[in-house]
Amino acid sequence: MHAKKQKPANIILAVVMFLLSLFFLFPVIWMLANSFKTDAAITADMNTVKAFIPPALNGSFLDNYITILTDTDFLRYMVNTLFYAAILIILGIVVNGLAGYALAKINFPFRERWVLIIMMLMIVPTETIITINFLFVAKMGLLNTIFGYILPMIVSPFNIFLFRQVFISLPDDVWEAAQLDFCSPIKYFFTMVLPMSKTVVATVSVFTFLGVWNDYLWPSLVFTSSDLLTAQIGLNSITSNDNTTMGQTLAVITMITIPVIIIYALFSKQIVEGVVSTGSKEG
Amino acid sequence: MNMKKNRSTSLLGMAFFGPALVLLILFLFLPMLLTLVFSFTDYFALNPDLTHFVGLENYFTIFKDDLFLAAFWNTVKFVIIIVPAQCIGALVLALLINKVTICKKYFKVAFFIPVVMSLAVVSSLWMQIYSPEGILNTMLGYLGIDAQPFIYSASQALPSIAIMSVWQGVGYQMIIFLGGLQAINPALYEAAEMDHASGWQKFKDITLPELKPLCVFVFITVTIGAFRMIVQPMVMTGGGPSHSTYTLVYDIYETGTVNWEIGLASSMAIVFTLFVVVLTIIQTILTKDKEDKDARKKTKTR
Repeated sequence: MHAKKQKPANIILAVVMFLLSLFFLFPVIWMLANSFKTDAAITADMNTVKAFIPPALNGSFLDNYITILTDTDFLRYMVNTLFYAAILIILGIVVNGLAGYALAKINFPFRERWVLIIMMLMIVPTETIITINFLFVAKMGLLNTIFGYILPMIVSPFNIFLFRQVFISLPDDVWEAAQLDFCSPIKYFFTMVLPMSKTVVATVSVFTFLGVWNDYLWPSLVFTSSDLLTAQIGLNSITSNDNTTMGQTLAVITMITIPVIIIYALFSKQIVEGVVSTGSKEG
Repeated sequence: MNMKKNRSTSLLGMAFFGPALVLLILFLFLPMLLTLVFSFTDYFALNPDLTHFVGLENYFTIFKDDLFLAAFWNTVKFVIIIVPAQCIGALVLALLINKVTICKKYFKVAFFIPVVMSLAVVSSLWMQIYSPEGILNTMLGYLGIDAQPFIYSASQALPSIAIMSVWQGVGYQMIIFLGGLQAINPALYEAAEMDHASGWQKFKDITLPELKPLCVFVFITVTIGAFRMIVQPMVMTGGGPSHSTYTLVYDIYETGTVNWEIGLASSMAIVFTLFVVVLTIIQTILTKDKEDKDARKKTKTR
């Protein structure tokens, strides 16, 4: 569409934007470059442009990373978080997906009223109920357990609503045909409905993963001191340890960011569509 | 036969909806109801037997409590700094990226990177950036500006955290605005160009009106987001120095889960929720209004 040759104004704009993006990202560039350095090198480089350049590749290049992975429980915290995310993605899709399907396609009493209630529950911020949920989990003796952490996080009014909006446009005749074949409703849901709605399943999975991986408040309440910590809470306990050097801190926060960058690179289309749809739905 | 079928579909519906309903009641509806009920009592979780109904006393107490008022005022300050900076920043970035023709994709990714980083990670990173001998002070030194205390001073901690939050969040609203810009009908601009409209006129008469519902949405969601501020001060300053970054949600959190004063914490949570609900209602009214007008316009032209 555009001519191959760029107008000078376009080149100037791109160059200005590029400089702006470098300035915008200076904390991230600094983090990456210095996560490979000793504290002495970080301080020595601070006054020059070398502060933004990684050190030369040599034997001690990955020392900070190796120290964190071998001397602290950080690897375990990352594995914990991946495990919680996997459970919550599966349970979240099953529970919220089934509910979304019921609200979209199955005629049962007060269906429209439930939809309205779900939409109203979407407004309630988690911070309102976090104290009482913490009290619940504490009273049930589930503090410092996986159950206590996971149970309140499974259901999401937002995801139920999202599933319903997608399922509502699925054709009815497939459901009728499936019934004629005496296909059980549960089997039909898992073998027909979910595979037909790959996009929403992917979107919910990606956002569940990002939510679990990046969550701070709830895991910090449920997990006080144990092997069950998530990466974000582990990060806090590692960086507040006086023995941790600045370079090691930067290595930890780099490692904690790598999985979300990978997810973003793989699913950027779903993420951008998800973000844009929150805007267009409301706007 | 038909009735039997009806009943079985009802059962099926409830069976599908049931698991979600149980969890919704247990972990959303009941906590909400209990928050409201407890806000009228002096429920102290370490001694629940001594609970009394106290009416509106908690609400009078918190609005006379200096710490709660300070937390409330700090939250308002966060909102006042974050909302204009983040909304205008996101719009400007979206306009620039929409205009740029070279490496568009790179720019979209670059400004979105902080969004995918977690609050705790960004806070830990910026603690290093803001450190007295840190990289930001070094860079300021080259500009001839003295070293600043940033998060270690009661006057600068709040703006420092607010700027960091804008840095982290701006990419999200930028993507929303970009989506909106790309949805504008190019014929509108072509018509304006035939009338020799200037760039500013096109922006003022086409882009802004077309983006208005999106602006309302972004404005309200950023406001609610700033209202919910807690993790950044928790990680970076612990609410200090001298409670200068202590926020409303931080106060709810500490009163409820550290001091176990569930009654007081609940009344704070209700005040907080009221603000969020009112903001959401305003947003719904403002955008509904627009939709109604659009619908009326459409029916008129038909």
